[in-house]
Amino acid sequence: MKPIDRRTFLCLSAALLARPGAAHAGLWPFQGDRHELSGEEDIRGTIFKKDAPKTLWKWHKEGFSYQKLADRQVMCNICPNRCLLAPGDRSVCRSKVNLDGTLYSLAYGNPCAVHLDPVEKKPLFHFKPRTTAFSIAAAGCNFRCLNCQNWEISQVKPHEVRHEDMFPAEVVRQAREAGAASIAYTYSEATTYFEYMIDTARLAKDAGLNNLWISNGYINQEPLLELCKVINAANVNLKSFDDAIYRKLNGGRLQPVLNTFKTMHDQGVHFEMTTLVVPGYVDNPEMIKEMCGWIVANLGPDHPLHFLRFFPNYKLTRLPPTPVSTLDNFRKLAMAAGIRYVYLGNLPDHPGSNTYCHHCGQLLIERRGYQLPVNNLEGNLCKFCRTAIPGVWL
Amino acid sequence: MAIGLSSVVMQLVLVREFLAQFQGNEFTIALIFFSWLILGGMGAWLALFASRRSRPSLTRLARLSLLLAALAAIEVLAIRTLRDIIFLHGADVGFYPTMAAIFLLTAPFGLLNGFLVPYSLYVLRGRDADYPGARIYLLDNAGDIIGGLLFSFVLVIWLTPLQSVFAANLPLLVTATLIASERQPLRPVFLLLLAGAVAVLLAGLLLENKSLSPFEGRLIHYEESRYGRITVQQDRELLTIFVDGAPIFSNQNISQDEETIHFPLSQIDDPRDLLLIGVEGGMLQEAAKYRPARVDYLEIDRKLTDVQLRYKLLLPLPGLNLIHRDGRAYLAGTGRRYDAIIINLPEPETFQINRFFTGEFFRLARQHLRPGGIFAFSVAGFDNYLSDPARLKISSLYNTARLHFQHVLSLPGNRVFFLCSDRPLNPDIPALLQNKGIHTTYISSFFSGNITPERLKYLRDNLLADTPVNLDTAPFLLRVMFQQWFARFATSPLPFTVAGGMLLILYLCRCRREELVLFSTGFVIMGSETLVIFVYQILFGYVYEQIGLLVTVFLAGLLPGAWLGERLRQRRNFKKSLALCDAFIIVLLVMFLLALVTAHDQLQPGFFLLFGFAISLLCGCQFPLALALGGGDNPAVARAFSADLIGAACGTLLTSLLLIPFFGILWATAGLILVKAAGMPAGAVRNK
Repeated sequence: MKPIDRRTFLCLSAALLARPGAAHAGLWPFQGDRHELSGEEDIRGTIFKKDAPKTLWKWHKEGFSYQKLADRQVMCNICPNRCLLAPGDRSVCRSKVNLDGTLYSLAYGNPCAVHLDPVEKKPLFHFKPRTTAFSIAAAGCNFRCLNCQNWEISQVKPHEVRHEDMFPAEVVRQAREAGAASIAYTYSEATTYFEYMIDTARLAKDAGLNNLWISNGYINQEPLLELCKVINAANVNLKSFDDAIYRKLNGGRLQPVLNTFKTMHDQGVHFEMTTLVVPGYVDNPEMIKEMCGWIVANLGPDHPLHFLRFFPNYKLTRLPPTPVSTLDNFRKLAMAAGIRYVYLGNLPDHPGSNTYCHHCGQLLIERRGYQLPVNNLEGNLCKFCRTAIPGVWL
Repeated sequence: MAIGLSSVVMQLVLVREFLAQFQGNEFTIALIFFSWLILGGMGAWLALFASRRSRPSLTRLARLSLLLAALAAIEVLAIRTLRDIIFLHGADVGFYPTMAAIFLLTAPFGLLNGFLVPYSLYVLRGRDADYPGARIYLLDNAGDIIGGLLFSFVLVIWLTPLQSVFAANLPLLVTATLIASERQPLRPVFLLLLAGAVAVLLAGLLLENKSLSPFEGRLIHYEESRYGRITVQQDRELLTIFVDGAPIFSNQNISQDEETIHFPLSQIDDPRDLLLIGVEGGMLQEAAKYRPARVDYLEIDRKLTDVQLRYKLLLPLPGLNLIHRDGRAYLAGTGRRYDAIIINLPEPETFQINRFFTGEFFRLARQHLRPGGIFAFSVAGFDNYLSDPARLKISSLYNTARLHFQHVLSLPGNRVFFLCSDRPLNPDIPALLQNKGIHTTYISSFFSGNITPERLKYLRDNLLADTPVNLDTAPFLLRVMFQQWFARFATSPLPFTVAGGMLLILYLCRCRREELVLFSTGFVIMGSETLVIFVYQILFGYVYEQIGLLVTVFLAGLLPGAWLGERLRQRRNFKKSLALCDAFIIVLLVMFLLALVTAHDQLQPGFFLLFGFAISLLCGCQFPLALALGGGDNPAVARAFSADLIGAACGTLLTSLLLIPFFGILWATAGLILVKAAGMPAGAVRNK
């Protein structure tokens, strides 16, 4: 290439900038689908070196699944982060520590949020409607979602929050006392307090209570298979269908989440999927078509899919909410792809939150927020055409 | 003078740009001024080094002036573009990345600007060795004043930022051309550079809208108002109004519309007269369900309501009166009473917004309520866990409201609503609405699952009775909001405080006595300006022109002060004058403090204008005197400029971020007195 001298460069630059209409002719460099250019490419968390406490506190339990390695190092096997921890290190999710070659969870029996919620709030629309879920959360998360609505408990260490003293037996006792049909492991990321969750779930199952797993689905197969033995239903986020967006907005990877769906499907667990439609990032119709195609091909048409409306939250406060018509459009795309039950959330009084029979199209359940004024199900059958509706209804 | 003009306009344009692109809180403003002043100081040092390495020349001064003009437009475009490349579009930015971005993006212009003022003196001294350094200070100040007035009263009203940059830099281009052609015909290189600078400034005009276009949807409206940048974004059928980059109103926000209006209005029997502050169109539609006789809608920014009306985000309503005044100033001046006063404002994370969440404002609101009337406001709440900073914020607000209202009901949720009245309040809003026959979409469907008795109890149990109340003069909430901001980004201000403190101590240890005087002078003048603006806003409301007037008054005193100082410098006992100035400044600050303590509510605008002028006059007077103390040669000039600017930077940062939020206004004033008193002995001792 022929080099240009300084004078020529200055002349050319000035002429280009001064060109009439330059601004309208694509001179401005950042047009179109620009989020790829924007911000950090990967916000996945890192382990916290030498951050573990010197001694254990009351609320601890040895890790459910981990490997002991040379030099007293350990590798946590609960989630795909597979944190490799030297003695004194803390995991990405902030709730696991290596103390002298043993992995401990510090989120055991110390929930920081305890509430009684309608099961529809999880959201679970095909699981025992009109019942309540005794909902608990301990601190920590293996993701770093920029729009997390529970960041004050998910992005902190267990000792940084106020918490209750509630070991598994007490959770079950209080859930029964509250008249809940289920215990939901929710709000933060249940996978990070796996040991607490699975011990509680086993006791709850014995006590005749249901277990609900509300999660980002970022879990390894071995603990998931163990979990599938005790949970009755799950709502798992499918945050987008693009690994780059998973890394950029959520600090995770897509493929492990897809694996989770396949495993749960194979294990026959009832689960529903949730996608938050973030403007500018998760609102590409082509991506949604691709996602729905994958769901139908790999999981079949019967697992309900929820599209949620985005509102500014946590660090993502400079975006507008999702247009309602975008959600309507996605619902149509998903149903056209073959998914039978597609719902719209964070939208009051919208027909997209009702259940219609996939066979005859009749209204089965009308939902107004958490109220269900119409229920045309008889057992698990459509009252009109006797078609079995997927889900756990009784 | 042209450099001064360009620099002040650019400084104010940068403040607005950074507020629009980053975070609109006092931290950002303080960081901008801090960076600007520090860079100015560094630029002044660079000028000294440059003048030692090669003889300052008119040609170089002219060329650098052209570069400064071009940099002004480039920097504005760079801020807009790089914001969404370096940081994720749509996401907030934490303290340290904001600080780094502000410093780096301001650096080219700030350094060159700081460089050019002393450099022009060195050029002049190359022709006349006795040219007084104070005259440059005087001329620079004159340019500052013209720039401040021009921006506050013309540019911000009529022009966009890049148009303002273009207009403010024309004098610099002309001056540079005159300088370059003074002794010889214009050279081709200069002409080329001139054409380049003009082209860059013109390109800025063409790229104004393009550089603001959003990732999602399209930009359908853009204008600058005195209070911020208004943009309207359309994404399919959704219209969203952004002010300074944050979405504030949209046409699909039914949950907040219903909660804001029905939570309070369901409590009272017959709401006839309503006062609404900062609401959106959907809220007015909800209010209309009660068939009120009169709805006063207060919004200080006329351009914002014009945009709302234009895009049908505000629909005409019988009995609706749009009042374009500061809400607080309006209430202070009206005798009208209301059945309900509802405010819907952003979080109290700026001094400006915090004024609507203080005990003084709550008292004012109560005085304008009819018996049985209701006052309501809300802040960001929590979904499932009340964090410590949020708990302090909500407790402080609750405790503050309880001082003025017999009954205060706080409702949990994504937003926490406070209902305040002298009548008992009922948390069962759906039942109240049903009794009134008012239909809602969101509340009737979701209230039962979101605001359960258990969650009401959770909030009630977590209120801390010993949390300090939030007052005008001791804005506790600002401190909490800063904590919350740091918590959100899992950072702490401690590293910055420690590093900054150590650097400051190192700098002060190396300072000469005249530099210490000027450091304390710069600190006090910017600290006083911050104090006065804040107190003025509290007392008289946010009146933009008058804020501009205050800033200008603080600049205006410097000019006659510098002139007076120059006269005093020629006397034999000028050191005594320097000490006298210090003493007068302290006396003035003590008087200011006493006035605040004794006549807080009775103080008139003239008092603040007079105070600003007097203190800036004394500070301006000190510059030539301190300069003379240091010898007045080129290195002394550079050091003097640096000390003044670094002092001003520290004054801005510490007063707005530490003294006022943590110690309140009175103690902040006392802190300024201490700083000046500490600098006083420096003027009286000899350099080693």
